[in-house]
Amino acid sequence: MSAVSVHQLSQCITCHAWSPDHSMIALCPNNNEVHIYKMSEDKWERAHVLQKHDQIVSGIDWGSTSNKIVTVSHDRNSYVWSLEGSEWVPTLVILRLNRAALCTQWSPQENKFAVGSGAKTVCICYYEQENNWWVSKLIRKRHNSSVTSVSWHPNNILLATTSTDGKCRVFSTFIKGVDKRDSKASSSSEAKFGEQIVQLDLSYSWAFGVKWSPSGNTLAYVGHNSMIYFVDDVGPSPLAQNVALRNLPLRDVLFISEKVVIGVGYDCNPMVFAADESGIWSFVRFLVETKTVSSAPTYGSQFSEAFGKFYGQSKYGASNDGMDNSRQGGVHHNCINCILPLKEPGVASVRRFSTSGLDGKVVIWHLGNQEDLLR
Amino acid sequence: MAGVGEFVEADNAEAIITRIEHKSSKIESLLRQGKHVEALKTALEGSPPNTRDERCKSANWIVVHRALMAIRDLDALFSSLDPEYYDILMKYLYRGLSTGDRPTCDQCLRVHERLTQKAGLGCILRTLTDTVNTV
Repeated sequence: MSAVSVHQLSQCITCHAWSPDHSMIALCPNNNEVHIYKMSEDKWERAHVLQKHDQIVSGIDWGSTSNKIVTVSHDRNSYVWSLEGSEWVPTLVILRLNRAALCTQWSPQENKFAVGSGAKTVCICYYEQENNWWVSKLIRKRHNSSVTSVSWHPNNILLATTSTDGKCRVFSTFIKGVDKRDSKASSSSEAKFGEQIVQLDLSYSWAFGVKWSPSGNTLAYVGHNSMIYFVDDVGPSPLAQNVALRNLPLRDVLFISEKVVIGVGYDCNPMVFAADESGIWSFVRFLVETKTVSSAPTYGSQFSEAFGKFYGQSKYGASNDGMDNSRQGGVHHNCINCILPLKEPGVASVRRFSTSGLDGKVVIWHLGNQEDLLR
Repeated sequence: MAGVGEFVEADNAEAIITRIEHKSSKIESLLRQGKHVEALKTALEGSPPNTRDERCKSANWIVVHRALMAIRDLDALFSSLDPEYYDILMKYLYRGLSTGDRPTCDQCLRVHERLTQKAGLGCILRTLTDTVNTV
């Protein structure tokens, strides 16, 4: 078991983000507010409530160098919050969307942030010093459906997006005046704003949770058809691998290192994937080992009733009484929809990460005693 | 294998149907010899999911149905069926369940129970979410 601490902070958590020193957490408890909790003397106390949005806050990100929080909501707005004294002061960012905003992320240098929306567009927002406000530029082309997840490449220019049309796309978000052309970089940095670099058409169902590896060489994203896709050498000729999962789909992934990925989703149990020396990715194990009996199916009580009706037998209800603990033995009780790293400064690979889910729990995991993953 | 397979044009459909007929005679002979598992594997191989032509799909379904109904020994089936066939078998099972015909549905349910134990819920998910490669 690698779970370090389990915190029941709400009834249901939509998304969360950590402060730069990991002492405070900002989360949305499935309503239009953002609650910031501070850890003091082993107890979490609610330090701030940010109330500006009218509908559910679907994405939060906390810049680790700028200490600014960006929140996006289904009310089609976004706010950038700065800490002035002891109060969080919001600045409205006009995104020019006509549908909900679904996800957001600060760029690595935190001079831009990306917002994915249900309007089939991605907004890239940057700060204009002269007018003292945030400007948004839209990438309107290419997407055929809602953009579910966005992720920045370490070079601060490339952005990967996943959409409910099943495709993962990489765009250039070069903005004159904000980004600098790198003369020795590859040709992808010569692309204009909004130009699509590559489109990955691997999934026939909704795609979620795209992330870049720490070097930016590999991309991972999940499909709602219980598959996870790994793409190496993203560019004109990418190498893609599909890994089929045994169980329910994932919602989000995290790169622990170049070769190890953690996936979280509807199984309520983080799954570890690793690449071997030849670069072939495969499923390694669940992070929480639950006792399974090999003969009987290992589903929780909610499935055993359904299967019992399906197969017209009563044995499922009876034999699974002992199996009811397989869900309770796990840490999360409901879908995990957000996983974030807790990076220590100066350490390259991620040793601690946090997950939050629809059960209202935030769980901090520590990989300290799993040496095989920390290569 | 990034990218979608191309859809087969109508004139190639005739070639596919001929191939399915050849497969059908091979399957009949395997069934006469009692090699039920081999017959099902042959039926599942070369299934044409990337064609929009309904005749090809129906022709292949008839062949798979024939092999499926002949299966009696489920343990033997699952001990020798390769995992790459799980997803395509699950798609045919759901097609069988949709017919509503009592003996077909009974057999499909029996196989579905064992296939889910073997392949997990992910197999069912892939069948339900894949609206492009249908059988």
